[in-house]
Amino acid sequence: MNWTAYIRQKMGVLFSMDTWLPTELPEYAMGLMYTLGSLTASSFVILVLSGIIMAANGPQWWTISSIGFYLRGIHFWAVQAFFFFMILHLLRVFFSGAWRGGRERTWMLGTLALLVAIPTAFTGYLMRGDFYSQWNAVQSKDGLNALGFAWLNPLNAGQMYGLHVVVMPIILGTIIAIHIAFIRIKGVVPPYPSHEELEEILNKEVP
Amino acid sequence: MRHYHPRVDVTHRYRYVPADFVKHLMGTTLVVAVLTAVLSGVFHEPVRPALKINTYATTHPKEFLTVALGDLNGTGTIANYGPPYNHGTGSVQDFVQKWIGVIHPVYPREDFVLKPLGYAAHLNPGLAPALKQFTHASSAQQRRWEKAFGGSLKQARVQGSQVLLPSGAYGPVGTMMQGLLELGQSGLMAGALNRSPADYQFDNQNALLFLQGSPLHNAAKKLELEGNQWGIIHEERAPYPGPWWMTIVTAIYQIPFIANASAADALALGSGMVIFLVLMLAPWIPGINRLPRLLGVHRVIWRKFYATHQPDPVDISHSS
Ligand code: HEM
Repeated sequence: MNWTAYIRQKMGVLFSMDTWLPTELPEYAMGLMYTLGSLTASSFVILVLSGIIMAANGPQWWTISSIGFYLRGIHFWAVQAFFFFMILHLLRVFFSGAWRGGRERTWMLGTLALLVAIPTAFTGYLMRGDFYSQWNAVQSKDGLNALGFAWLNPLNAGQMYGLHVVVMPIILGTIIAIHIAFIRIKGVVPPYPSHEELEEILNKEVP
Repeated sequence: MRHYHPRVDVTHRYRYVPADFVKHLMGTTLVVAVLTAVLSGVFHEPVRPALKINTYATTHPKEFLTVALGDLNGTGTIANYGPPYNHGTGSVQDFVQKWIGVIHPVYPREDFVLKPLGYAAHLNPGLAPALKQFTHASSAQQRRWEKAFGGSLKQARVQGSQVLLPSGAYGPVGTMMQGLLELGQSGLMAGALNRSPADYQFDNQNALLFLQGSPLHNAAKKLELEGNQWGIIHEERAPYPGPWWMTIVTAIYQIPFIANASAADALALGSGMVIFLVLMLAPWIPGINRLPRLLGVHRVIWRKFYATHQPDPVDISHSS
């Protein structure tokens, strides 16, 4: 297959109705445990929406106007919700051994989402413009400088703003989208099979 | 190369039931929307007012001068920092940092003291001769003045926002430093520090670097925000939640061996990265990848399913 056709095919799956709005699910994939991923994704949606409104009004707005301040509060609590649900979701998929059956890529993308979410949130903390921002900016510079990431300058509010409202959310959003597409392609991991079931599966060899 | 059994852990062996995903996603989004709208309405967001240079210069005039003197005589942390700011060695943790080089040049003697004084001299003509005398003197003479000023500053008394210096052989440095203090108190200092070549201000680097030593550290210590106080994950206004998702990295900073190392940040963040890699590669790490089955929490997750379908789950696949 040439690469343009390959991209077409992958994009077709990524953007399909079946990936995003399925009409049926395996019977074991029900209940609150399976809602944690969606709650994480929904928190991300609220973050993006409240973030867009704040960005549209400019960087002073959320500190000086009461509506801006209220939105900033929504954004703040949505970050808490995002990480809260994400960690519960992580625990749920870990305890399910959800990488079984060729689902390792889904797991890796999930962990990558967690990793990328941390600097996304961090650059957001730098946008508060209060003591906490000042302190985190000066404290984080040493680690970044030591690790060779000096071009990421946490003291440069303009650079941090661009990273926080454009670069990081796009990277994180893309990782989440591919994460979800992979889940849908493989299907959510089934429960651990029973002895009898395994025997039945394994003994019924295909020719 | 591993392979999967084509008939183990596959979904198509299970019954599918109808599901309305539009409703499901609308539902979860509504839950988060209402939750955050209420939390914001009731609790808002924590705010701790920023530390401004003019406030600091007014309430801590002597400390302000101590910081400025460190910038002038080259003993301050930023003056000695090293890459990416300058060619010092004081805060160089490893070779990568050196290798990146000076990409955000900051020379506190000029950038934090002499240049701001140059701007201030336009408003305060008394400063111009002192500045001229200083810059035209030999460096040995400059050192002697700086040293004498340092000695007098230690003896100085504070009266309100004034610093009363005993007289000494500090030549023009006394006038210069009093001028810098006035500039600091005026509210114009941040503007004198953050000078973008394009005249468009997006960057707070130099004002923050000016404050980064004792001014910000002393304020942070009171709020228990320092690294060795688990500060990374503290919100400054309890009981608000802080960035608790950085708990692991914060915990690493509490290990004395790491906290006291000269390359503390490189070590702490490096160890954090190793822990992350363990998590990321868990599916391939023998032992960890079998943990979920052994721990048996999956019996709770699929309680209903096991109860009705299979009382005795096992696992033989290679990966888990
Ligand atoms: C940005 C954060 C994340 C979002 C929005 C997200 C979203 C989702 C969603 C919607 C599902 C579908 C079913 C369910 O809820 O269980 C899912 C499944 C999954 N997630 Fe995530 N996730 C995120 C982070 C993570 C993390 C941090 C991990 C693991 C380290 C992870 C690993 C997985 C795995 C392995 C599955 C498959 C579960 C199965 O097959 O039953 N995800 N994720």
